Amino acid sequence: MTGLVPGARLPERTFGPVTLTDIVRYQGASGDLNPIHHDDEFARAAGFPAAISVGMLGAGWLAAYCTEHLGEAAVRRFRTRFSLVVYRGDRLTASAEVVRLFEQDREPRVELAVRLRKDDGSVVIDGTAEFAVP
Amino acid sequence: MALMPIERGKIREYAAATAAARPAYLDDPQAPVPPTFLATVVFWTPIGETLRSPEVLRACAEAGVAPDLGRLLSLEQEYVFHGPPPHAGETLRTAERLGDITVKRTRDGRAMVVIRFTVAFSDERGDPRAECNYTSAYVQRPAGAGERP
Repeated sequence: MTGLVPGARLPERTFGPVTLTDIVRYQGASGDLNPIHHDDEFARAAGFPAAISVGMLGAGWLAAYCTEHLGEAAVRRFRTRFSLVVYRGDRLTASAEVVRLFEQDREPRVELAVRLRKDDGSVVIDGTAEFAVP
Repeated sequence: MALMPIERGKIREYAAATAAARPAYLDDPQAPVPPTFLATVVFWTPIGETLRSPEVLRACAEAGVAPDLGRLLSLEQEYVFHGPPPHAGETLRTAERLGDITVKRTRDGRAMVVIRFTVAFSDERGDPRAECNYTSAYVQRPAGAGERP
């Protein structure tokens, strides 16, 4: 993409509304079969009103969003912090803003602040992504 | 310590599960791994052994928190790649190490034992290729329904 200057934003992308199918497909692919993500009764026993989505599914969506713009082989660092649980039916929007351009290991890189939020604006995941740039 | 073959079909499956179904992942026999793909290391070795180490169990006992793996919260994950990410056809060697342990409070005052640990991935030549830095927490059971960690 062009225009990677501090403050520049990638076009946003929306994921969901989250379904149980999204969740179990990610759980099968990732190998994390914690029942708290697909078994409502189990989740209620743990203090949640219903099963909660997988944090790493949101991280995976954010990663897909970034690689689509910056290249699949260019990722160098991808950090996500999980701040809010997600339930089935939530719609999530990914956004990213360029923080800085820098050089590491003699390679030009871009650092992005990435974020996944619900429709009400609450932040589900925030993080940092670094990609090599041409 | 375990060996993890990076498989093309697994990358294809993982890409589809994360809405990343793009030609670079689906059609290239040497597809790079998606940024969070190395989470699938659990198919090759149980990770989180450090979460049951004596240091962690002692910290949980002191904080009054049950070290129940079913109630473990993932707070943060960071993937670091040393150059281009590993690709289909490679085999990686993994090793896990414990970082640090801290006791914190949740917003509603429950004790939380926060553990940082790392899974490192090296290639057939022994060169470091990637690390996954996990921050996870055992949290005291809530009195009512808990929305936030």
